[in-house]
Amino acid sequence: MPEKTEKIAVRAEPARPQPQENTLAPLVDIYEEADGTVVLVAEVPGAAADKIDVRVDKGVLTVWADGRLEKPASDYAETYADFSAAQYFRAFALGDEIDRDRIESSLCEGVLTIRLPKAVAAKTRKIEVKTG
Amino acid sequence: MARLRWQGWWDPFSSLRYMQREFERLLGRGFPFGESHAIGGGVYPPVNVFNGPNDILVQCEVAGVKPDDLDISITGETLMVKGVKKGHPDEEKLTFQRRERGMGEFSRTIILPDKIDADRVEAKLNLGVLTVRLPKSEAARPRQIKVNA
Repeated sequence: MPEKTEKIAVRAEPARPQPQENTLAPLVDIYEEADGTVVLVAEVPGAAADKIDVRVDKGVLTVWADGRLEKPASDYAETYADFSAAQYFRAFALGDEIDRDRIESSLCEGVLTIRLPKAVAAKTRKIEVKTG
Repeated sequence: MARLRWQGWWDPFSSLRYMQREFERLLGRGFPFGESHAIGGGVYPPVNVFNGPNDILVQCEVAGVKPDDLDISITGETLMVKGVKKGHPDEEKLTFQRRERGMGEFSRTIILPDKIDADRVEAKLNLGVLTVRLPKSEAARPRQIKVNA
């Protein structure tokens, strides 16, 4: 059964200090939809919704997630390890035309999607030329 | 400074591969024009294998892959994880500013350290991490040997 998408609150708070050890930058895709909404898709496997922190402050969007998996009991020997679970952290500069209050983020199957809509005033508007 | 993913083993060709992909994209080849990216330098999904007294635990990192797109099979002592990581729906309508996540088909074969009981294998996909628990067959379990004085 596919996982439900969970909403993640976006907080307007100063950024959390970036942890140094064992921090990875999550892979992201950033794209723009037809109406100008910017969508950021970040891979944070292993991070549950309550271990994700998305904040916007002074034009900087920061994403922090704790993707540390539970280690199996100590009587398991590690035969092969490609990845060790880690904390994820990445910061992005937001353009002026993004509407800070309407930023939404949600988590589904280890993928965090953040939607950054353009402020209405910033959308391109045609100006009518009046004659006479 | 934050590191990029999977740098536990250092891939000396990763920057060359990245350049090759960028050139392919400029020339109009590569995804979405035909070939799929090698995700993460060609080794995907990253896998952890833990060997316990009664079972073997295999963890695979497959964020963004739906359970229906995964194909897990066991042949003897080999576990094969195959699947496809789909791209964004309606890609043509989107303008990408940054593209780091790979997509496409992937397949990884893992040779298990011990004999397992294929009928009792369980696989769970949670938060983008696939965990496969393979109980060992009776013969492979550790057995205490009593020493006769």
